[in-house]
Amino acid sequence: MADILKIKVGTASCGLAAGSGEVFDFFKANAGNVPVVGVGCIGHCYAEPMVEVETSEGTVAYREVKADQKSLDNILALGDSNRLEIPKARKKREMLKVTRLAGKICPTSLDEYMAEGGYGALKKALGLSPEEVIDEVKKSGLRGRGGGGFPTGLKWQFLAAKKNVDKKILVCNADEGDPGAFMDRSMMESVPHQVLEGMLIGAYATGADVLFIYCRAEYPLAIKHLKIAIEDIRKNKLNVVNGKALDIIIKEGAGAFVCGEETALIASLEGRRGTPRFRPPFPTDSGWNGYPTSLNNVETFANIPILIAEGGEEFAKIGTEKSKGTKLFALAGDLENPGLIEVPMGTTIGEIVFDIGGAKPEDVKAVQTGGPSGGCIPKELFDTPVDYDSLNSLGAIMGSGGMIVIGSNRCMVETARYFLDFTHRESCGKCTFCRVGTKRMFETLERIVAGEGCEEDIAFLEDIGPKIKKGSLCGLGQTAPNPVLATLRYFRNEFIDHVVDKKCTALACNNLVDIKLNQDNCVKCRLCIKNCPVGAVSDDFVIDNSKCTRCNTCIEVCPKNTIARAPKGEGYYSE
Amino acid sequence: MSEINFKIDGKEFTAQPGETILQVAEKNGISIPTLCYNEKVSKTTSCFVCVVKDCKTGKFLPSCSACPAPGQEVESSTEEVRDMRRTALNLLLSEHAGDCEAPCTIACPAHAKVEEYVRAGRKGEHLEGLKIIKERIPLPMSIGRVCPRFCEKDCRKNISGKPVAINDFKRLAADLHFDEYMEEIPADNGFKVGVVGAGPAGLSTAYYLRRMGFQVKVFEQMPKAGGMLRYGIPEYRLPKAILDREIAHFVKMGIEIECGRKLGDNLSMDDLKNDFDAVAVTIGCWQPSSMRCEGDELATEGIAFLEKLARNDWSGDNPGKTIVVGGGNTAMDCLRTSVRLGSSDVTCFYRRTEQEMPAEKLEIHEAKEEGVNFEFLVAPLKLAKGANGKLILTCQRMELGEPDASGRRRPIVIEGSDFDIEADTVIAAIGQKTSAPAGLAVNRWGDLDVKEHTYHMEGKVFAAGDCVTGAATVVEGVAGGRIIALGINSMLTKEEYEVEPVVNVSRGHWRSLAKEDLVFLRDNISDEERVEQRLIPIEERKSTFNEVAYTFTPEEVQSEGERCIECSCTAKGDCKLKKHSEEYGADPEAFKGERLLQGYDNRHPAIIHDRMKCIKCGICVKVCSEVVNKSLLSQKNRGFATRVEPLFGSQLPDSCTQCGACIEECPVGALDWRIKE
Repeated sequence: MADILKIKVGTASCGLAAGSGEVFDFFKANAGNVPVVGVGCIGHCYAEPMVEVETSEGTVAYREVKADQKSLDNILALGDSNRLEIPKARKKREMLKVTRLAGKICPTSLDEYMAEGGYGALKKALGLSPEEVIDEVKKSGLRGRGGGGFPTGLKWQFLAAKKNVDKKILVCNADEGDPGAFMDRSMMESVPHQVLEGMLIGAYATGADVLFIYCRAEYPLAIKHLKIAIEDIRKNKLNVVNGKALDIIIKEGAGAFVCGEETALIASLEGRRGTPRFRPPFPTDSGWNGYPTSLNNVETFANIPILIAEGGEEFAKIGTEKSKGTKLFALAGDLENPGLIEVPMGTTIGEIVFDIGGAKPEDVKAVQTGGPSGGCIPKELFDTPVDYDSLNSLGAIMGSGGMIVIGSNRCMVETARYFLDFTHRESCGKCTFCRVGTKRMFETLERIVAGEGCEEDIAFLEDIGPKIKKGSLCGLGQTAPNPVLATLRYFRNEFIDHVVDKKCTALACNNLVDIKLNQDNCVKCRLCIKNCPVGAVSDDFVIDNSKCTRCNTCIEVCPKNTIARAPKGEGYYSE
Repeated sequence: MSEINFKIDGKEFTAQPGETILQVAEKNGISIPTLCYNEKVSKTTSCFVCVVKDCKTGKFLPSCSACPAPGQEVESSTEEVRDMRRTALNLLLSEHAGDCEAPCTIACPAHAKVEEYVRAGRKGEHLEGLKIIKERIPLPMSIGRVCPRFCEKDCRKNISGKPVAINDFKRLAADLHFDEYMEEIPADNGFKVGVVGAGPAGLSTAYYLRRMGFQVKVFEQMPKAGGMLRYGIPEYRLPKAILDREIAHFVKMGIEIECGRKLGDNLSMDDLKNDFDAVAVTIGCWQPSSMRCEGDELATEGIAFLEKLARNDWSGDNPGKTIVVGGGNTAMDCLRTSVRLGSSDVTCFYRRTEQEMPAEKLEIHEAKEEGVNFEFLVAPLKLAKGANGKLILTCQRMELGEPDASGRRRPIVIEGSDFDIEADTVIAAIGQKTSAPAGLAVNRWGDLDVKEHTYHMEGKVFAAGDCVTGAATVVEGVAGGRIIALGINSMLTKEEYEVEPVVNVSRGHWRSLAKEDLVFLRDNISDEERVEQRLIPIEERKSTFNEVAYTFTPEEVQSEGERCIECSCTAKGDCKLKKHSEEYGADPEAFKGERLLQGYDNRHPAIIHDRMKCIKCGICVKVCSEVVNKSLLSQKNRGFATRVEPLFGSQLPDSCTQCGACIEECPVGALDWRIKE
């Protein structure tokens, strides 16, 4: 048997949430001489808690590891149970560049990062002139990964061009706010040094002398790792750029989604209420406290060391004509293998959803890209390549990389309502169209899913949606109607069903659904009666829909699948 | 940097560097609406009411903040831009919860400024009150007595008690000062208007025309002016001596009244059109409806019954046992008049129940006090003369079925329930119809056919009052008279028509509100009960035509005034949201949805902060921090729940010097003084 060199336990937030903290503690205490270390995330959320064993003959990965002796023994024996075999299809599609080190090294170990070539790119960059660095970034074709897709090299050039100013500011936007998106968190937790290295290269290229990381306070582990990493590079003087030791200041955001927008972020960074403002002036002209400021996303910065190390031209070989490199996606929703993935730009949605995500085509209806700011893309269009422009043309957006698979059992109207519920509450309340318009849209969708909608409601949504997009200052309002408009575009029939026939074909909207028990198959086990929280199932196994709250408990507990949702009106009502 | 040339609506303009599109537009007389923009403070760019469209990119730019680019072309007046602005206004209106006008004023057919004259009454300024009243009510002594008080029905005091006794403010102010107030009459403008009919609508038309400098001549078919006020409303409700004083006032103003002239008889439309620059037809509604049953010709017509008494100074024979068929105010007048003529057996027959009776509740109540009997759910079937010379009325019993078009439950005959009843007098007070003279166009209800809103008929002819609306109230008549006076003025002098408020945001009818939803401007709003109307003794009421109700004393009126909540917006007449909404045809009802009720703060002794009206423009926050250097206000919450508040939700602190800068700049009435003038 191969020698076991090291046991690596995935202890990023996702692993910790699944119980890897206990696994780590138990293994550390009971693994004897074998070193047990915590590492970041390799992106296979479905398999957490995960353990990787480094042996003299390569690595072996284990999934859903428990904090007990049996699991430890199995792993120390390199046993066969609970092995994680990465599906071939996923291996074929994925291309791990930015996340190459994620989950492989100890996040807070500068040595381990350096051992993998870390800060080599910074060294290389310092050997070039700032102009040459920017040139490499421009050649690479790298575009902002936060969702805007603005060419990074160009933005840096704007900042670099500012001469005779007291200060220049570089901000890392780590206010990842899309529900279900965790690319940035994972990078900061797993390889914080890679982000910092990108920032330092940026500071050198642009001449920035004040560096901020604006990170949401809901990411305590990321902040902890960043702080350790910052302290380490300070001690090792790696932060000396342009002859100055640069401080990297972490500012914790208070949880406003809108603060991911650059002007709102700057306002928040200045200590003001986080609301966007009209542009121009753009931040590179007048940003933090009036100083020229460039904001780049975590993933953008994480790309920089790779780009500099291999050169812009090499970087640009991957991807499509206008979207270069790889992209991280947080894959979630109705699929087999959710997780964090990295694919070359141009990979099709189908390849991501089916090959990597393991979703079955017959179980999938659509995919939502760009989180609550994006739109849904129906299954018929799954051969669309993932790049900024293709997604825009479909009414969706690349966004920061959230990708939510919508199963065929989902109601699209309800899905649109769900996303708007988020955005209308996260509107900063400044622009009329966003503040009141999204509220009115949301109220309309609430009516429709409740079966109280009318055809005028659809006309209203189609009228007000584009106006909200045109009449809002920032990306939040400019995209908030997208989930509704895209759903109306591709799944209009479901809206019509709701408002005209008062029917939810997916049987998802509770107001349009009854619950029925088929007595032919019933084995009279009484589980439904025992578990119903409102006593809606009678002693002779009839579900009273006037009492039923459609909570689905009976459906879940029934061992014979005799209980099912049915269109409204088919169920029994006592009154 | 040099000047920038660009285009607005195809016209070339030049901007200085740093100038916004809005600034250039304003300089060149192009009007762009704004709400969140205020030149005293830094830009907010939030309301999007000032948008213009960039022709090239198709984007909408907030003109308050966007500076033109060289060669840029923007649109500011296309329907697309107007629609965008209107939508922004509609959205703001949909969350705006205030009362542009108080519900009493909206309810008043003449839109008299109720809150204002009630305030004058409260302060004891009754002459001032009378002046306010006469802006809309030219017959304040009459209407102060006979008005069914639409205003009081919508008074928010109804939430927790009885409404303010609004009409009594009119009556007192007029009783005290009617003869001493003479309107300013401008010099004759050279136009002559002929008015046919000296009832409320005709007199009102004449009054407002005269106040605008017209020469007016009113033709009246009856021996005296006043119309239904004189010949339809009994003396005990409106003493004719009072009416005479009001008529005399019109004459004193220079209005000529010629009685004994009847249209189609000794007065022709052709002559009127020849002799006058405009003709107002206000001939009323004098043709009684019949009971539509066998022998109905044996019944006395209600209005004929009253008219005969009016012509005879309210003296006449005892009608004996009297049955009045009908449930309206005319029926009540006939019943109570019969009592006064000495009948001890007076009964009202009505085919539905008391709940459905169109007569005023007060009238029904006072009739009952005076001993009138009521028989509900009975309908006449036949009227005949008995052998003893008495009338025999055959009736049938009814029951209520489903609601009909009027919303009232339809009476249905109970078969076989016929019964006979004997009476000396049977009065039919079923209703009246317009009797249109030949040559005047009528609509399908037989009323004069006029255009909506303007009451214009054709050419120089206008019409108003009962002959247009069907039998209605005095206040509706005077409201119509004023409308055609304005229409005639506009037609003849080309002056712009004074537009009634088209956008009125209401916090809701009192039935939909709770006491907590009310905004109390003053601290000392009285919770006292409404002052009871004092009446003459019941024996005197039953035996004479003396006026039944006393005028309130000044003390009583003041006490009522203390009860008024003063519901209307403090920024009345000074609200940019209302102004732009009217200009852009925005509609408070366009987008329905949640509004933020219950969010005002009147803890400060001088300032009221009504967040329900706030449009979140943030000007107040910025004025306080950037101009006053105090930073006492801030914005909190997100999305729809965004609100402006002093820090930590506390009241305005002592450090607020009440400089009023925020109030001055608030585009709506969200921040205002707690005193209304």
